[in-house]
Amino acid sequence: MDLLSRQPLLAATVLLVPLLVLASPGWLALDGVGPCWAVLWLLPWALCDGPFSGACAGLALGLLLDALHPGGVTQIPALLLLGWWWGRMGRRASPIQRSFSLGLLALIGTALLGLTLMLQWGILDWIGTREALQLAGPLAGRSAREHGVNPALLALPGWRWDDLAGSGLRVLLAQTLITAVLAPMLCSLQLLLWRQLGSGWRR
Amino acid sequence: MPAWRWLRFVDGSSLRRLLPWLLVLLALVAVRLSKGAMLTDAYAFLSRPFWPGTAQAEWLRSARRVEDGARLAQLERDNQRLRSLLDLQQKNPNRVTAPVISRDGSGWWRQLLLGQGALSGIRAGQAVLGPGGLVGLVGSVTPSTATVTLLTDPSSRVGVWVGRTQHHGLLTGIGTARPLLRFLEKDPQARPGDVVVTSPASTLVPPNLPVGVIQTMDANADPAPEAVVQLIAPVSALDWVQVQVR
Repeated sequence: MDLLSRQPLLAATVLLVPLLVLASPGWLALDGVGPCWAVLWLLPWALCDGPFSGACAGLALGLLLDALHPGGVTQIPALLLLGWWWGRMGRRASPIQRSFSLGLLALIGTALLGLTLMLQWGILDWIGTREALQLAGPLAGRSAREHGVNPALLALPGWRWDDLAGSGLRVLLAQTLITAVLAPMLCSLQLLLWRQLGSGWRR
Repeated sequence: MPAWRWLRFVDGSSLRRLLPWLLVLLALVAVRLSKGAMLTDAYAFLSRPFWPGTAQAEWLRSARRVEDGARLAQLERDNQRLRSLLDLQQKNPNRVTAPVISRDGSGWWRQLLLGQGALSGIRAGQAVLGPGGLVGLVGSVTPSTATVTLLTDPSSRVGVWVGRTQHHGLLTGIGTARPLLRFLEKDPQARPGDVVVTSPASTLVPPNLPVGVIQTMDANADPAPEAVVQLIAPVSALDWVQVQVR
């Protein structure tokens, strides 16, 4: 937690993440899907600064990113967990700085983040469908053939299970791959920078 | 010996033999000098029964209509582009023109960020139009920005109808570039090529705004027929949009 306690201004670089999300350069995308900038910033920070600082950074990032996107899902739990996990890994194991390791950690982190989002949307879809069926009354179920389709079911907003399995999986794979490809380059540079600026340099 | 004396050797019989050839030569010279006038005229006269009839003429007229339509659409697009370059605001007080300052059209969320917000009169829920039709609804606003939930976003649900058959449905984003139209009737009688517009019954959006064109139909889908809709407005290339503020 040296960086966060001794040079708290460095934590302000977390603001770059939402700015990069908004800028979303089109040339830096795979199948139109950009990388997960949150993972690319959080991974080196947590590896350098430990589990507590990593979890705090994950929470801050989650709050910032949730503000950008509408809907009832949140990225906070996944980012909190990733920050804590990567922080522990940086403290207990030998320093992680090899390109393959960074790429693999970013890949796992992005996949986990995407899966938590998919899980939340899936649960919301399930809850919404159940409520709509309860509210619909006579229009639901067998009498749909006679009365037409239940609009309450169609009007449920958010990802549906079949959409998640189709285009959702495509977004997950594309984002995971592009993040894993960029991580060795970007995370190495950030690791170097944080270790030089902070006193948490480990030999 | 005078020059005309050689004529003494051309007798009458020789002249009669040469005369047809001289006439042929004269005719060929005449054709050459007239640039083939008589030849082509003769061809035209002989080939007249085989000239293109009414069907071919109709094809030509149809092709010309298509060409005129395409030229008109191109000129209209060009006019709009030049107007936006000149920053000319349309004199429609019900609409606010706003630049697109961020776009995320392929990720988990499909949204635009506009460079105008609450200070310009934009509110959540208002319709956002691009060149060609509706692109989405305002999801949230800040004083100087507005977030637009695109029609392709899975959280987007807009009431539409097919103008030709007047059958209603819900346009549903499914996370791809083309939203899905889920009809409310079992037999919507729609077919590929039908234009989809916003429904007059919708309380969210103004009625009869063009949205897209039906690309494919799945009449056997459960619980209701579905159609894949190609949006008219090019969401991936939007630079300016208009927000229907009233």
